[in-house]
Amino acid sequence: RSSHIRYRMEASCLELALEGERLCKVGDYGAGVSFFDAAIQVGTEDLQVLSAIYSQLGNAYFHLHDYAKALEFHRHDLTLTRAIGDKLGEAKASGNLGNTLKVLGRFDEAVVCCQRHLDIASEYQDTVGQARALYNFGNVFHAKGKSMSGSAAEPGEFPEEVMTALGKAAEYYEANLALVKELGDRAAEGRTFGNLGNTHYLLGNFRKAVASHEQRLLVAKEFGDRAAERRAYCNLGNAYIFLGEFEMAAEHYKRALQLARQLKDRAVEAQACYSLGNTYTLLQDYERAIDYHLKHLIIAQDLNDRIGEGRACWSLGNAHTALGNHDQAMHFAEKHLEISKETGDRSGELTARMNVSDLQMVLGLSYSTNNSVLSENKDIDYNLHGARPRIGRRHSMENLELVKLTPDKTNRWS
Amino acid sequence: RLQDEDSQSLAVPSSQTFHSDKVEMEPDTMETKSLSDYFSKLHMGSVMSSCRSQGQ
Repeated sequence: RSSHIRYRMEASCLELALEGERLCKVGDYGAGVSFFDAAIQVGTEDLQVLSAIYSQLGNAYFHLHDYAKALEFHRHDLTLTRAIGDKLGEAKASGNLGNTLKVLGRFDEAVVCCQRHLDIASEYQDTVGQARALYNFGNVFHAKGKSMSGSAAEPGEFPEEVMTALGKAAEYYEANLALVKELGDRAAEGRTFGNLGNTHYLLGNFRKAVASHEQRLLVAKEFGDRAAERRAYCNLGNAYIFLGEFEMAAEHYKRALQLARQLKDRAVEAQACYSLGNTYTLLQDYERAIDYHLKHLIIAQDLNDRIGEGRACWSLGNAHTALGNHDQAMHFAEKHLEISKETGDRSGELTARMNVSDLQMVLGLSYSTNNSVLSENKDIDYNLHGARPRIGRRHSMENLELVKLTPDKTNRWS
Repeated sequence: RLQDEDSQSLAVPSSQTFHSDKVEMEPDTMETKSLSDYFSKLHMGSVMSSCRSQGQ
């Protein structure tokens, strides 16, 4: 009789877990979690079954962005696989734990897990496992580098520790590429090319970034993976910006925009419009820049993205100032001020305040008949290096001191 | 005159605007353990063991 009960229990646990598995496979992770939880409640004496449940629960929580829970279950899985001496299971648990720790910013622990994953895979001559561990390794070092990079520096100009971490990421991605090429795993190749491209971009190797993203694009097209194709176009656009090839950047952003619309991804569509607005600003085609920034603004408003809205207003203010539409510029500068106050963006608020006061001055001057004031003012503020008025120059705290218009950035962009 | 100078200048966005950390990463790859796979293997194992016991 007790064996009958145990049989019923095992069957029930298994049925629940299989339903959880089916739900996760179709992407319904929330419902999947409930079934796995129920399966654990019923319990099982088969530790392989329990390991599979823990692992899938960990992955479901990972997909649901509940990383604390994901960590908990991948830990359980690791402990269990070690206890039963299931080395291949341990390798998988280590890999998943590593990915989770990476997302949580615990990079040193993540590295230990990646190494364990790689060691076991190597021990069993499991090339697929080795390749996957190398990809994870690359991702951990990429994330580590990015987390240390801060927001002020530009690609290629990060502190040494950041460059070291990114350099390691590139090495792991290259090692992964060698293996997945051997295995003929094109999908894996595509992913690695994408992240390698991003790593080269941050390292400031923009030509190499372009070459990698071109490869990524090729694979995405082979698979008809439009989301990956769109990512590649965006990343290519970014790299061309830093190469100073703005026309090329615009072409790639436009393809990204088309795909974002096809995929009905509004947030990504907004991002593409914003990038296009900035690119046309660099090309000094301010009418087009305004067109795209307005498109970005409308989507940001639809999505209730106040930060995006503020950024759009700031950009629109600058573009209108460039065209001499000071009234319009004032409208957007005031809106930028209002939003940055609301979102608690202190540097945005200061920028906006100065833009408003500069514009007030210009608008005051344009109503004034006293031309000598205008020309005197121009000597002070506008006449240096052929041109750059103060308005709109102050994007950030660094530019707060009375700007004597060093044209460093200008040269870079032109 | 002021306007000419304006239009050839200004509003060059800081490069920060572009990269921020806007690189778009590829998805993470998680390792998977599947119950269905495990049971199909287990089933084969039990078939094999029942074959062995028949042979004995």
